Parts: sequence; C-alpha cells; structure tokens
Amino acid sequence: MLTRRLLQAIPVLLLATFSVFMLLKLLPGDVAITLAGENATVERIEEIRRLKGLDQPLIVQYGQWVMGAIQGDLSESLLSGEPVSTTLARVFPNTLFIVLYAVTLSVAVGVPLGILAASRAGGLGDKLVMVLTSVGVALPNFWIAMIFVVIFALNRAWFPATGFVSPFEDPLAALWYATLPAVALAASGMAEVGRQLRSSLVETLHSQHFRTLHAKGLPFRSILWKHGLRNVSVNLLTVISLLISRTLAATVVVEVVFAIPGMGNTIVNATLQRDFPVVQGAVLVMVLTVITVNLVTDILYSILDPRIAQQ
Amino acid sequence: MNETKRKAIDALPPLRRRQVLSGLAGLATVASIGGLPAMAQANGENILRVRANANPSSLDPATGGSGSDHTFLYNHYDTLIDWEPDTLAPKPGLAAEWSFPEPKTLVLKLRDGVTFHDGSACDAEAVKFNLDRNRTAQISNIKQDLASVETVEVTDPLTVTLRLSAPDTALPLILSDRAGMMVSPTALGNDPETNVDREPVGTGPWSFVSWTDGEKVVGTKFDAHWRDGVPGTDGIEMFVMPEESTGLRAVQSGQVHIAYQLSERQKILVEKIPNLGIVSGPTLYIHQLYVNAARGALQDVRVRRALSLSVDRNAFVAATQANVGEAAYMNLPKAHWAYSEAAAELTTYDVDEAKRLMEEAGYGDGLELDLRGYPDQGSVQRQEVLLAQWSKIGVRGRFQNAPVAENSGRFFGEEKQGDLLMSAWTGRPDPSLTYALLYSENSFYNPGRVAPPEGFADAIQRSRETADQDARKVALGEVQQMVMQAQLTIPLAVRYEVDAVTSEVQDFNANLLGKPKFNDVKLG
Repeated sequence: MLTRRLLQAIPVLLLATFSVFMLLKLLPGDVAITLAGENATVERIEEIRRLKGLDQPLIVQYGQWVMGAIQGDLSESLLSGEPVSTTLARVFPNTLFIVLYAVTLSVAVGVPLGILAASRAGGLGDKLVMVLTSVGVALPNFWIAMIFVVIFALNRAWFPATGFVSPFEDPLAALWYATLPAVALAASGMAEVGRQLRSSLVETLHSQHFRTLHAKGLPFRSILWKHGLRNVSVNLLTVISLLISRTLAATVVVEVVFAIPGMGNTIVNATLQRDFPVVQGAVLVMVLTVITVNLVTDILYSILDPRIAQQ
Repeated sequence: MNETKRKAIDALPPLRRRQVLSGLAGLATVASIGGLPAMAQANGENILRVRANANPSSLDPATGGSGSDHTFLYNHYDTLIDWEPDTLAPKPGLAAEWSFPEPKTLVLKLRDGVTFHDGSACDAEAVKFNLDRNRTAQISNIKQDLASVETVEVTDPLTVTLRLSAPDTALPLILSDRAGMMVSPTALGNDPETNVDREPVGTGPWSFVSWTDGEKVVGTKFDAHWRDGVPGTDGIEMFVMPEESTGLRAVQSGQVHIAYQLSERQKILVEKIPNLGIVSGPTLYIHQLYVNAARGALQDVRVRRALSLSVDRNAFVAATQANVGEAAYMNLPKAHWAYSEAAAELTTYDVDEAKRLMEEAGYGDGLELDLRGYPDQGSVQRQEVLLAQWSKIGVRGRFQNAPVAENSGRFFGEEKQGDLLMSAWTGRPDPSLTYALLYSENSFYNPGRVAPPEGFADAIQRSRETADQDARKVALGEVQQMVMQAQLTIPLAVRYEVDAVTSEVQDFNANLLGKPKFNDVKLG
C-alpha cells in the first residue's frame, strides 16, 4: 500500500506545482522590475531578466525547477538570494508547531465536548454544546484571533500580541507565544471534533448492538469508553486528519495576524512579490505534508479497524 | 431509551469531575504561562525594537531595489552627504565638506579616522572603490544615479575628486542616498562584482549581527562610530511585520518601541491609546494623478488645468487622510527648501475657472475619462472623493482598478492604457531628479512621452549648475511653474509620516524623506 500511495503522490505533486507555477506566471507584475530598483532603465530590467533566467520559455523555467527539486535543490529566492530550502527549513517547523498545538487543543477540548453532548443527547448539556460548537464553526479564525489579542494580549497582557519563539530555542516561551494563535486556529477544530463525535456516538449508542450490551448489564461508562469510542474511532481519525490539512491552510491568515514567521506568511509575501521559487518550494512542502498525513491516516485506519486492511 | 439516558446521567459524575479537574489544571498551566510577559519584558536591555513594514530586498545599497530598504540600510551605513531632517537641505556626512571648484568638478573632503565595522579605513581609496562600483559594476542597480560622473580620482588620502560630464549640483543629495552609502571594500574582497546582500559591512551606527528572512534584522552598537553618542542604544532589532494592524498591536503591547509608516487614519487610533506617542510630519510622498497628455481630450492643456483646479485639496485631505497631511499643490511639500509659492498658486482650487476652461475646450457638456487606479481601501476612497469633486465640472468616469504592478505596467509601459492613473510619487532627495524623472520626454513616468514645456531642460540644467541653494531654488521654481502650468501631473495630497512610539522612546523625529533614521534614538 505504501509504495502504491507514494507512486500516486508523484502526479499530484507535479500537478500542484505546475498549476501554482502557471498561476504565478499569469499574475500581472514583473519581479525583474522590482529587482531593478526605483530608477531602473529598460536595459537594466532586461539585464536582470536575463541574469535570473526569466527570459526563458515558461516550460523551460518549470522544467529547470523540477530537475533541481529532484536533486534536492529548490533554487534561491529571487529577492533575497537565500536558498529556498534554508527558508523552508526555518519556517516550516514553526507552522508545524502551531498546527500540532492547535490540533491537540481541538482534540483535547472537542472530544470531551462530544462525549458530554452524546451522553446527554437532547438534554441541556447537549444543547449548550451544540450552540457553542455552532458558534465555533461559524466564526472566522482571523476574527477570533483579533478578539483574543485585544482581550488577552492588549487588555490583560497575559500573552504576547505578536511574534514567535522556536520550540527548539525555548519550549516554554514557544508555548506561551503560540497559545493565542493556536487557540484561534483551534476554535473551529474543537467545534468540529465535538459535533462529529457527538453525532457518531449518538448513532452508535442507539444501535441494537449497544442496546444488547446495556441489556447484558454493562455499566454505561464501560459501554462508552470500551465500545462506543472504539466504534467511532475511525470517524474521529478522519475528522482529525482533515482538520490537520485545514489547519495548515488556515495558518496563512493567522500567521499574518500574529506576525509568525511560518509557511503562511512566507507564501503570502512571496506571492505578493512574485518570488516564484519560494512559492513553489512552499507549495511542494505543503502538498507533501498533506500526502503524508493522508498516508498515516490510512495506516492508522487499518490498525484501528483490521477489516480495512483486509479490503 | 429514557432509561438509557437516566443511567447515562447517573454514570457521568466521575467522568465530569475528571474533566473539570483536568480543565482546571489546564487553566492553571495557561495562567502560569500567562505570568511570563512581565518577567520577559522587565529585562532592562537597551535594545531598540522596531516594527518594519517589509523585508529588505537586500542589505547592499548597490544591489537593493526597494524604497523600504533605506530604513534598514541607515542602521548599517553612513552616507557621504547627510540631510537636514526638516528640509532635506544637504549637510556633512562621511564627507566633512564638499565643493564645486568649477561646475564639472565635485571635491569631497572626508572625515579623518572613520572606520568600517571590519576595522578597515573609510578613506579616499574606499570611497573611490564604492563610487566606481556603484556607477559601473554589472550588479549595481544605481548606475543611473551617477550617470553624470565620468571619473573618480583620489587626490589625497582624505580627498576624492569627481569629474563630471555636465554640471550636476544634484550630486551632493544623490550621495545622501544609496549611491553615497559606503561599503567596506575589504568585505567585498576588493571585487566590485561581489555583494554584501546578506552581511552588510559599513560605517553605520550598528554593525550587522543577523538577518532572518521575513522575520528580523539585528544589529549591535558600533563602538567606534565617528559621531559621539551615536547610536543611542546598544542594539537594534527590526521586526518585519507587513500587516499594519499587527504592527500597531505590537507597539501597543510593548513588544516593539516604534512602529513606523502607519496610515494617516491610524493616527486617530494611536492618539486614543494611553501608553503611546506619535511622531508625525510631512514627507516627499505625494498622492497624485499621472496624466497621459497624448490621449484624447487630455492633449488639451485647458482640460488638464480644469481637472486640477476643480480639486478642493483641503477637503480631499480631510476626507481621505482624516485631516492628517496637507494639500499638494506641486510635486513637493511646503516644508521643502525648493517649494515654490508661485507654482502652488497655479493649482489652487477655483471651480469657476475650471468650468470656464472646460467650456472653452468644448467640454462644457461633460467629459468621460478612462481612469485607472489600485484596489486597496485607501485608493478606492481617494477615487470616490475625486469623482465627487469632478462631478462639479461634468467629468465622469469609473476607475478600473488592478494591483500596482499590473496597472502601472499597462499605464506607463508599452500598452499605454488609460487617460489618468491615480498613484503616488515617493520623492527623491534632490528635486531636480524628481522633475527630470517625471517630465523628461523619454522618462518612464511620462506615459504619453510628451515633450515638456519649452525651457524645461534648460531650467533643470541651470538648477544643477550652481551649488548655491537660493539660486537652485529660483531655477527649480521655474521648472515647477512650467510643469504645473502644463499640468502634466495633478498632485493631490502630501502623505504624512505617522509613527507610533512607546513612552520610553526619546529623540526620535520624522524626516521629510519619509524614511526614518534611528541613529539618535534613546530609550528612557
């Protein structure tokens, strides 16, 4: 399965990077003009285009990038000259840290909420959880982020309003800096995990199989933890897997709001400046991450439910 | 079913207690982590932290391409000539004095004992190396700035002589910009085609420590700086935060000391924040309309004049800049040493005269124009105010908005699309450069490539033949009157510098160039 999935990833990677490359080239604007400076002559702009290989046909430019990428060379930023691999090695762990923090929060809060709602289906607790999770799903991340900054950073000064510390430098400070962005990112995740889990659990707990377990005299706690959660674990895993991919995408906005030097910020700035090697490299890493998450999810499916592996 | 529910409720308390306990534990952890800011901020460091609005394109003055680089470059490089912050009049920098013994020769006398961060001497040989590199190296983006320099000679260890192809008294102010920033030849390995893009070595107040792309640039105090008491802090950290609101939040929360180049509308907001102060002042940045005088009705100077005279610039500033700024009656702000009252009178609001001119030109029944602009909120607001004001003389149109690169390319480039483009002019240290770049027949910023008024080139040249500022002002005044009479651009409003600073910041002032310098800033 692993080999098949890895082979399937190749056309996905090519299609994604080629689409992004062509879209960037279709965008108006010329990075050579930016590079040439404020009083640039037409000759200087042409000279820069030639020096940077921007005068080559598009397919040649893309081909050169692919050949380099296969050999581990993701080229250099057109603007700063920094190797793209260096940039990505610096910013990707930051994004990954925020995403994992946010997903952990989503699961840590969403799962108890889902269990609470499902075990009191139709009751006051269930209704309260449903209202809260509806709000969580409906509110956009960036709005929540800004409200959190006003309350917890500017008014209460509990957390920093902007910035980031790498977990490799200072893990405690890293958690402190990442808390507001992670909570902002996790708000919809918590709601989604809670709602999905509640829905799956209610359906499972109402099935004949569980009625039989109950009739056998098993206590509810045992039914819930030993049988119920195990039955819905595949659904929960799917939700978490999708959540990781979506949270990765959502960092684009939240990183800008909190000035976090991560993938999202890098992609936004590079796109605005038409720095296509950086955008290409970042997209490649993002696509690889999503593919990896999906692959791990598939493997976990087969562990949680051996019937899937047999199929 | 009801029985199941009842049992479920009965079974829950232990679980809920556990949840409550873990929740409380989580909250306690968060609260304890939340106690960190006070510890982290009370560190007593004398490090100036600044929010910058863009990542630098390069930290080598010869190879960079962005106007926003200067704020970074000033930290690590001094310029041969400096300027007065309030007027941009030239004053000594690395060159203690300069003179034009004859119109085609500029002599620079350098300060003694100035060294680069790497310890090498900033002497005449180093200056010659830099000027030659800037004007001839293939990697240089500023060759055009020094186009009038024919040769650079070392007269003695502290004297450099520039032989010019034509009189050019604009050179001293050109040497206050990128072209005058001196890079250590040793750091370049004495090879003009190499660069210090990512590791600048100059003579500036802070020597370079690190640059994390898109995140921050760090400098540490250069103890051997030639000016006493400069820099005012032991270090500087420039944090890159392109989003303006994020920058404001950073200064509000005390994470940075200064957030510069905020929009005028933010000034009202900053004034309401108790722990922040404002540093503000006029800049050379002018919102203006570029006119393609080779198209349709705009070939008629009466129509161009009518468009300008019908703009109530004070109302425009009030509506679009929350009254922070000033009306622009020409391509310079009032505070500039070369400002001309006579030129300004030519564009003063007079809607009756504008109507008369439209009538005379045959457009008394109205005129539809092809207008171009940018899609950001501020630009759209300026467009709406302008259209409302033009409606008084029957001028109509709809702005076709697209990103800066796209619409600028289409308007100024080969396609020549649009009658007018609402954009801005960011200014140049010497006004003769501004006028030459905006109005010369083959200039990129002259979209119709129309010939400037007769006598324009002569007046520009005269402004460059004398070093006397009063005489230059007279010559430049003539240039300004010519171009405002011909109305080849329509200036609208001067943008003001709006910087938010914390109460610790001392000795930080705005400058007319609109590119802040932090050399003298101290933290109280």
